Amino acid sequence: MNAVSAKLVVEGLSHHYPDEYTGESVHALEDINLELYEGELVSVVGPSGCGKSTLLNILAGLLPYKVGTASVDGNIIDGPGPDRGVVFQEHAILPWRTVAKNIGHGLEIRGILKSERDRRVQEFIDLVGLTGFEDKYPHELSGGMKQRCQVARTLCSDPVVMLMDEPFAAVDAQTRITLQEELNRIAQATQKTILFITHSVDEAAFLADRCLVFSARPGQLKEIVEINIPREKRIWADMNNDPDFITARDRILKSVREEVSVAKEE
Amino acid sequence: MSALSAVSISIQRRFGRQRLRKILLGSIPFLVMIGVWHANTVFEWLPPVFIPSIGDVWEAIFFLQEDCAGFVPLIMLDNSCLMSTHILSSVGRVILAAIIGLPFGIAFGILAGMNRTVSKFLEPVGVFANSISGIAWIPLAIVWFGVGWVTTLFIMLNTIFWLMFFNSMLGVRSVARVYEQSVLTMGGSRWDVIRQVYLPGAMPSIITGMRMSMGFGWRALIAAEMIGGDSGLGFMIFTSAAEFKIEEVFLGVIVIAVIFMATDRYLLAPLEKWTVERWGLVWKPT
Amino acid sequence: MQKKSSVSSLTQPGQRTAFDRFMWQFNQLLKIDAMNLVILVVVILIGWSIISESIPNPARYLPSPLAVVLSSVDMMVKGLLPSYFSDTLTRLVIGSAIGLAAGIPFGLLLGLNRTVADMFHPMMNFFQSVSGIAIFPIVVIWYGNSDMTVLVVILYTSFFPIAFNVLSGVREIPIRYVNAARTLGASRYQVMKDVLFPGAMPHIATGSRLSIGFAWRAVIAGEMLAGRQGLGWMIFTGQDTDSTAEVILGMVMIGLTWIILDHYLLRPIEADTIERWGLVQR
Repeated sequence: MNAVSAKLVVEGLSHHYPDEYTGESVHALEDINLELYEGELVSVVGPSGCGKSTLLNILAGLLPYKVGTASVDGNIIDGPGPDRGVVFQEHAILPWRTVAKNIGHGLEIRGILKSERDRRVQEFIDLVGLTGFEDKYPHELSGGMKQRCQVARTLCSDPVVMLMDEPFAAVDAQTRITLQEELNRIAQATQKTILFITHSVDEAAFLADRCLVFSARPGQLKEIVEINIPREKRIWADMNNDPDFITARDRILKSVREEVSVAKEE
Repeated sequence: MSALSAVSISIQRRFGRQRLRKILLGSIPFLVMIGVWHANTVFEWLPPVFIPSIGDVWEAIFFLQEDCAGFVPLIMLDNSCLMSTHILSSVGRVILAAIIGLPFGIAFGILAGMNRTVSKFLEPVGVFANSISGIAWIPLAIVWFGVGWVTTLFIMLNTIFWLMFFNSMLGVRSVARVYEQSVLTMGGSRWDVIRQVYLPGAMPSIITGMRMSMGFGWRALIAAEMIGGDSGLGFMIFTSAAEFKIEEVFLGVIVIAVIFMATDRYLLAPLEKWTVERWGLVWKPT
Repeated sequence: MQKKSSVSSLTQPGQRTAFDRFMWQFNQLLKIDAMNLVILVVVILIGWSIISESIPNPARYLPSPLAVVLSSVDMMVKGLLPSYFSDTLTRLVIGSAIGLAAGIPFGLLLGLNRTVADMFHPMMNFFQSVSGIAIFPIVVIWYGNSDMTVLVVILYTSFFPIAFNVLSGVREIPIRYVNAARTLGASRYQVMKDVLFPGAMPHIATGSRLSIGFAWRAVIAGEMLAGRQGLGWMIFTGQDTDSTAEVILGMVMIGLTWIILDHYLLRPIEADTIERWGLVQR
């Protein structure tokens, strides 16, 4: 693993922010160190309020940070940029643009010519299975389709790292299973480097090459669980009987449970 | 220092940090505006006949109240207490117009809305009456009632009535038929239906109508006082302008703005919010 | 929602432009309301005539409908009515066009930064609450009884409601849309063009209609107060010269013009914009 270059590097990252209502300082992240290697899918789980989303917002460049460093391909993060694509939890595709125009938005921003743009957009529309919905508006799509559209939009900009913030939290259980399997397929096909934030242990274990467990506030890296299952074998019907998967999942679950009870006691 | 921070934290807790931030931020442009206004007086970018000094505007209050001999002439709207007389006669007309105009507008609106044929029939009347904005009635009102308080009251009443009528009518019409039928099948009378279905059902629309009609009515009243009145804030700023007493004009405009903002913000807007929450309905304009 | 779908079903799908809606509404008016309207107008005219006949000195207090029609013919022949009408409309168009053209970008610029937006929101609310008519006496001291005075009052009345509405609209756009565009690498200008402007479209439409409505009242009042020729001036001098028929004629003109403008131009455009751009799920 170490022979491959790290795409995303976080060193000694800590973060405090003032509470919106009381103004008191909240300690969200404490001394986070992590590295994401090329083509790797890393998931982050932890109890609510452990700073998962804070970490993602910092990496996306939406939240300024003071302590520690975070860099992508050696470039220090100091604002949003096209080298990091973000798939948000809520539907953040623009309601007044069609599916195709939403997916091509990143390329449009960079001033890529329309003919080239259309070709690339079609490629990703086909990849996420939205063929035939190019000219629909977001309000005409189901929740699952909106998230596919978001994924396609992010991939279409060809970011170095893709950041996903609980992207399947708001869709129904059946759709979620389909989307997880599709993301697995897409990860395999595109070999993207992905940081995937979730509160679902099953989801984390199903998708990740490595799963990072965060402790309760202040969020610290508590444990790393490796899941060495080839991508082509990751299908829910098989995984539920896969001993490697079950072992990994149970370990993550135990680790998270301890943190949840700690958080409750406080 | 620690006492200061304790005070600041307790203030933040009391008002909420976000609200406090908005209040503080929002006051900055006003302070800057006052600063620029004062700087204009000091450096005379624009001469004082165009922009009076803050001090002159402040002193205009005392100048206008100079001859006021006490409380009795003040409430009797004596001409010696010019400032308070103009304010009170404007506000008095607003209250009078509200007392007469609101109930009548609501009552007729509900009656018209109860029957679909009647309301379809009367809708164009409402549209047309609201389209001839309050001020367009001023000349005809002067012909009918002469220059004076009757004309100004008529203009305000006219504006309030039609907006109220129209909003109440639409409000009643937006109430689902099922509610009306359910009360009737339980043996309720026509009066029960009005009281328990139409009135609460149309309430959000009625309250919105109230807020609108007071806003439009206030504007119309000021215009009416300027053109066809002999007292009130509109009359005051218009006559002061004719005599080039710009400090009195500024004073009048500020008082007009403050009365309007205060009424809307501390009376009508909370009322609207309360009704929406109380009846749990959000009225959507059709 | 119910009403919306019935509207769509009556027009060709994919052709729901402002013009189609205009034609549709026009047809609706002819089909459904024509009979009611005719009855209503006849009833009002009869009632009006009876009152007019039964009062002393009707020429001064309430001229009969016939007298109003005759005065309109007289004013048409003299060419006064068309000239007043076009004067008033020109003022409205110029004043509100400048007001909107300045107010929309101003609102967007203030909304670009949340802190700036929060800062200016109360002040814009203050100015949009102070009616333009109330500042007339100030403007008249600055510019005298001139066309400039009327124009400044119209500008003031149309600028603040639109700027305030655009600012409110921008503030209501969910922050996630802005964030999404920023993570795609959008610059401030691109965020404004691709997110804030389209996101505020429904508010721009509503604010424009509100602005033009206020401007219309301001034109009428401004003409009366500053004595500039137009419909407002016509009803004011009509009262001065005891030609009440002209006053009523002017009032009817003012009412009809606004109905036509509002119901057949502004409202359809607003409804269309909201339908097209207001697809925001919050």
